[in-house]
Amino acid sequence: MKLSGTYTVPIDRERTYELLQDPNVLARAMPGCDHLALVGPDEYEMRMKMIISSIQGLFSGKVRIADRTPPDGFRLIVEGSGKVGFMKGDGLLRCTSLYTSTEVHYEGDVQVGGMIAGVGQRLIDTTSRFLIKKFFERLTAEAAGQMKQAAD
Amino acid sequence: MIPQDFEYSTPATLKEALALLADGEAKVLAGGMSLIPLMKLRLAVPGHVVDLSRVPGLAHICQDAAGIHIGALTTHYEIESSPVLRASCPLLADTASHIGDVQVRNMGTIGGSVAHSDPAADYPAALLALEAQVRIAGASRERTLSFSDFLVDTFTTALEPGELVTEIVVPAEKSGTGASYQKMHQPASGFAIVGVAARVARSNGGIGFVRVGITGLASKAYRAFRVESILQSTGDIKKAAAAAAEGVEANSDLSASANYRAHLAQVYTARALEQALSRTS
Repeated sequence: MKLSGTYTVPIDRERTYELLQDPNVLARAMPGCDHLALVGPDEYEMRMKMIISSIQGLFSGKVRIADRTPPDGFRLIVEGSGKVGFMKGDGLLRCTSLYTSTEVHYEGDVQVGGMIAGVGQRLIDTTSRFLIKKFFERLTAEAAGQMKQAAD
Repeated sequence: MIPQDFEYSTPATLKEALALLADGEAKVLAGGMSLIPLMKLRLAVPGHVVDLSRVPGLAHICQDAAGIHIGALTTHYEIESSPVLRASCPLLADTASHIGDVQVRNMGTIGGSVAHSDPAADYPAALLALEAQVRIAGASRERTLSFSDFLVDTFTTALEPGELVTEIVVPAEKSGTGASYQKMHQPASGFAIVGVAARVARSNGGIGFVRVGITGLASKAYRAFRVESILQSTGDIKKAAAAAAEGVEANSDLSASANYRAHLAQVYTARALEQALSRTS
């Protein structure tokens, strides 16, 4: 399934790019992420606990960053699996400067398989977008937090 | 499949139920039409299930000056067949009659459905068009929210851990108001690919009042304010319905692509407005 969208982060492009590369920030911004550790060059191990409505799934997998072109963007590859199914995501993030803020555009392909895809097909699209929205909301909050810190 | 082991409680009062839910870990069982299938597939593995079926005072339909009060445990069938609702809030009764199948309507409850907050559920379209209120109880406080504030996002409501929906309040329609719910069913599940609820009243030859709620199209049901204002100012159903999916990011799945869904929203909005207008008198 193809997904794309645009979000605006209220800090400049260089700092937005840095924010997106910071494993601590990513760990806090990814919904349900409770563990993200560097295991190799540009490769992270992650664990996520997703709770959406009554469904709860524990996923473990890898996050990889490739094709970096700072501060324009990079490619993000996420793979995870758990008892309820597996997911694979491969997307391109592009940062465009809007002077004091930055527009982040994402475009990618998500595959979901296993039990969760079998019974939840009609919800994959909505849920994926819901999770991406949450990610950017938290990223924006992180950016706002950094701005406040800088101002103090 | 058989669900994983879980603790099971059947509280006999609302107070007892809220005490059991206070730690925010337990899962509430109402009609079980969403939770039980998920538990059987082991997609939901709650450690503790609190069954509300023995809690009294949560399955009523009664009318007073504030409107019609519907207890959270009222089943879809009870809503569909209620003489009070049929007479004074036919939109909700009509909407309930479109949910799932007979078995689901006999077991499933309005409180369970709104708390689950499936983006393709039928009630949200009608409850938004009706500007309904949701009564919520927690261990330490009670509160009332408008349904539009209650509905946060896909499977997300304003319910805090430990809180329960106790009642939905809908207005008793003034005479002269016409309403309609039009829906395209997903053939296997009965969920709405698109569902549109409309309420209309005429005044002085024009349109006096319009409310439109749309479900199934986006990540949550929404009020179609543009449709409402265009119909009110021009009276042109076609023009108004064309704005049904304006500014909305439509869902896409195997049954319907985003473009097709957005198109359906316009078609079903026109049908709902037409029928609602034909029912005004």
